[in-house]
Amino acid sequence: MTVPSELSLGALQARIATALMAAEPAGQRLPPDWFGGAREGSIGLRVHRNTVLSALSHALRLSYVAVDRLVGEDFFDRMAVGYARSAPPAAPQLDDYGEGFAEFVAGFPGTEKLPYLSELARLDWQIAELSRASDDADGGACIEMAGGVRLQFAAPLRTYRSTYAVGALRAAILEEDLKEIERAGGAPGEYHHALWRSASGVNVRSLSESSARFLAAVLAGADGAAALSAAAGAQQSAEQIASALASEILPAGFVSIGKARVPERSEPN
Amino acid sequence: MDLSSPASPVPAQAGIGLRLPHQAQVMSERPRAAWFEVHPENYMANAQALSELEQIAAHYPLSLHAVGLSLGSAEGIDEGHLERLKFLIRRLSPALVSDHLSWSVTGGRYLPDLLPLPYTEEALRLVTRNVSAVQEALGRTILVENPSTYLQFAGPAMSEPEFMAELSRVSGCGVLLDVNNVYVSASNQQLEPGRVLGEWCRALAAKSVAEIHLAGHALLEAGDGAPLRIDDHGDHVCAPVWALYEQTLAHFGPRPTLIEWDTRLPGLEVLQAEAALAQERLDECQRRAYDRAI
Repeated sequence: MTVPSELSLGALQARIATALMAAEPAGQRLPPDWFGGAREGSIGLRVHRNTVLSALSHALRLSYVAVDRLVGEDFFDRMAVGYARSAPPAAPQLDDYGEGFAEFVAGFPGTEKLPYLSELARLDWQIAELSRASDDADGGACIEMAGGVRLQFAAPLRTYRSTYAVGALRAAILEEDLKEIERAGGAPGEYHHALWRSASGVNVRSLSESSARFLAAVLAGADGAAALSAAAGAQQSAEQIASALASEILPAGFVSIGKARVPERSEPN
Repeated sequence: MDLSSPASPVPAQAGIGLRLPHQAQVMSERPRAAWFEVHPENYMANAQALSELEQIAAHYPLSLHAVGLSLGSAEGIDEGHLERLKFLIRRLSPALVSDHLSWSVTGGRYLPDLLPLPYTEEALRLVTRNVSAVQEALGRTILVENPSTYLQFAGPAMSEPEFMAELSRVSGCGVLLDVNNVYVSASNQQLEPGRVLGEWCRALAAKSVAEIHLAGHALLEAGDGAPLRIDDHGDHVCAPVWALYEQTLAHFGPRPTLIEWDTRLPGLEVLQAEAALAQERLDECQRRAYDRAI
């Protein structure tokens, strides 16, 4: 007996792929008489199934570092395999596989006590993306403020908003600080972060709402005045905004301060 | 089309599979290595890693060993992946480009493994078509590697060596003969590896064999009680594979030989030591050829 002659190679490959990704034993089986040689085909299929699912789990693990550490290897593999079966990659490029994983883990059975898990996963993904991003050939955003001050922002740089303190939570997880994990994973609120890549890797810094609005506006192309206006939308006093910018933006590792460029004077004819 | 780019050819010496954890060390220390081989898929969405690899490629001959072309896919080659590979070839000017006699893409799904083909006339036509399309698009010849196999399809078919030889003959592609995979596949089917390697040697035209791979593998117990060897590239090359390598060199002569080590990755010095063992055998092969010539 053989693979049926009327089964094209394409159809055979589709049947094999379906069997490899199936969750239930019934779906994993292929007709034993399709296979010859000294070993049962099911043994080889098991090897391939394990390789595929392990590779996809590993790819996700590389991107979702804090989630993996938090839930542990076995539980992460369970989530990863579940995701891989529901959303296998479409292209042979696993570096950017798994963008939907954060949404997938929201409400995953067994994560009821981790209401912040999805947001933590989203932060992991943002960090993974930043670590792979190319250096911006033109450099980051640059604005000029009143008083001749020029702010040059790092690239790549982005903001991230969450309802849990996932920046602090992620740091605590990576440092295995159980007390801080419990504290940071506490009551929901509104949290803002700046994420940027430097020579030492991707950095995460907490921001107030006004600083986050300011930074988001800058990254969207606003000039200094417009960015300050955006910060004012945080419904804080001018002093509070100035204080936030002075303590959070100016000393942050993602901005360097210089003098505004003086426009060149053209000589009269 | 030549098998190896003349600009910076891969020498018939022992090279090392370069993995991301070793990249910084290679950049900073410029260790002794005849050449490096990388998986291009690791660089297609990682601009930082690619930038570093470009610096390495300025000092060492480089080979790109793809895993995602899916040369055996019935639905043809993924044009997007081919374009990404072309981009890398333009950036890196590799001496060799290769992939596997297997498939991994079907119905819009990529399954990250080298999945088996039945060695039928239909499959041969299809793989030949895919390999020819890739070579046309890249403007160069590629090498095709024999993967490790864990199952065989029943029914009338060619042997794997016959299939590969015919593929090379019709498409003009080269062959990347993975000696560890010959051993793993033969062992898993309870065949005598030396005899199976003999079939490969008889089937392949010598000029088609442009590269050899060596690697370690894992030994497990399968459900049927017999040992199962898994090509996990996670260990030293074992003694039987070294013996097969010597048999391969005796038949084909010296060829660029790569030490593959992908999992449980040791320090770079371990890979260099493994490459040195391959180099000893290459040097011995060269000496014998010289002795015969004089």
